[in-house]
Amino acid sequence: MSVRTRYVATRVALTVPTLLAMSLFVFLLIRLVPGDPVRTMLGFRATPENVRTIRHELGLDRPLVSQYFSWLGGIFRGDLGQDYISHESLTQLLRERIPVTLELTIASMALALLVGVPLGVIASSGRRLGKATASIFTIAGISIPDFWLGTILILVFAAKLGWLPPTGYVPLSEDPLQNLRYMTLPVLTLATGEAAYILRTTRASMQETLERPFVTFLRAKGLRRHAIVYKHALRTASLPIVTVAGIQFGVLLGGAIVVETLFGLPGVGKLVVTAINQRNYTVVQGSVLVIAALFIVVNLVTDLFYGLLNPRLGEERA
Amino acid sequence: MTAATVALRHVRPRTITARLGGRQAAAGIGILTLLVLVALLAPVLAPHSPDAIDADHILAGPSWSHPFGFDALGRDVLSRVLFAYRASLGVSIGAVALALVLGLPIGVIAGYFGGVVDNLLMRPIDLLLALPALLLAISLISITGPGELVALFAIATIYLPILARVVRSSVLAVSRELYVEGARARGVSHARTIWSHVVPNALGPAVVQASVLAGFALQIEAALSFLGLGAQPPTPSLGLMLADGYQVLQQAPWADIFPGLAIAVTVVAFNLVGDGLRAKLDPRGISG
Repeated sequence: MSVRTRYVATRVALTVPTLLAMSLFVFLLIRLVPGDPVRTMLGFRATPENVRTIRHELGLDRPLVSQYFSWLGGIFRGDLGQDYISHESLTQLLRERIPVTLELTIASMALALLVGVPLGVIASSGRRLGKATASIFTIAGISIPDFWLGTILILVFAAKLGWLPPTGYVPLSEDPLQNLRYMTLPVLTLATGEAAYILRTTRASMQETLERPFVTFLRAKGLRRHAIVYKHALRTASLPIVTVAGIQFGVLLGGAIVVETLFGLPGVGKLVVTAINQRNYTVVQGSVLVIAALFIVVNLVTDLFYGLLNPRLGEERA
Repeated sequence: MTAATVALRHVRPRTITARLGGRQAAAGIGILTLLVLVALLAPVLAPHSPDAIDADHILAGPSWSHPFGFDALGRDVLSRVLFAYRASLGVSIGAVALALVLGLPIGVIAGYFGGVVDNLLMRPIDLLLALPALLLAISLISITGPGELVALFAIATIYLPILARVVRSSVLAVSRELYVEGARARGVSHARTIWSHVVPNALGPAVVQASVLAGFALQIEAALSFLGLGAQPPTPSLGLMLADGYQVLQQAPWADIFPGLAIAVTVVAFNLVGDGLRAKLDPRGISG
């Protein structure tokens, strides 16, 4: 088995215990954190009797171990349980909502990379004006809360100019053009801060790379600056960018919660917020697990990419 | 300009600015000090009561006596922003302080002893990092019910693993230094070595990271309040003001824009401090 295959195999195998630990964590979170979910759920209707009935219905009166294994068993069969308010299947609910969240986060990350990486390269090697623009963009992008940016975008592009709808959603499969109209503002909202991050990472990584001996060597060899920066340095500098993009994907999944609520997008994030407000614990538990699983899978993909890009991986392990 | 003044400028070794970690950090610290003072002195500084309702001026625009205008209930937005800094800064600084107090010993012990101890402490902590931060916060709040204090604890829970990791990496690097080995060889106890040699030298990156995180805490607090999971009305909080302002965005954009700017300025200040201190306190670049 080559070093690379072994790296991939180990990394994939490690995902299983992580996912299991995560399921246990999400399960215990709802049961062990101080505060009784059923009592919070029922509010003023929390008579001892009602509490007992609901606890029984939700299976909360059974031993923890048996609760966990029946929940876990369900997950393996693709059954995440029932939304006990609407009595819908949670699996079905999530199947409709995951694509929305994925579209939002993936499009935002793509846009952030498209803007952030070139600007980061310019910031590390370009002229003064480029550097200054990049600095201002970074500070603004990182400091402005995303949902506030979202409200300003709604104010300008939806309310004042009327170019784009303020809220709502049309599935991509139904009408791609309408979908684009509804997704533009949410994606811009989520991508701006992200682009600032990617820019910052790219700049730092490029600055460091451009000082390495191999760059001096290429320059001495007579290669043009442009070729050095874009062909050679950027490839070497891309490792930290990939890592940061992977980590930041989790931040985007978190940000999606707010952005989906703000723009009325029917994604997993909005589902979680609604479920929390309704004290709908099966839904909270299921969707939190699904988002966490998404994040773990994204981390896996990031690490695999890292392995592909890192020419030194073999040496490190040997 | 005479030669003497030029020379003076170069010679002057330690200005206050340099001591604070350079121009950037000094500017950040300046703004933050001002904001903390604003929060503390809000009752004195605010031109009006933050809760006083002026029914004749609902959603009225900015004027000389009310520079930030009125909100949907006819309350003075400027006065509310000043008071909101109390909740917002309190939660963000409190959360980072709590995370630092809890994360520091974990990171120090894991990094210093390594091996089994390291694994035992850091594996569960890594699990916390496997959840998107905001999601972790809102799932905690979903169980305990909303509130400022809950938001503080939730943000501290998010930051605990991040700070513990930074401290651990930093301690790992410091523990290999000769002076640490020297101390041990002299027969100094583990506790004493950690306290007087490792911790003081490993603290820098954590401080840098903490100041950047404090800025984000403000954004998280605002996001939580915006979702109705943080500070509860009528407490003025910047996130809550944004949530209310969003409802009247078209008629009275000032009710939304000024609290948003208030957050942005604070986050910029925390970031300036973090970036400025990085060069001074984190030469190895551990805080990322």
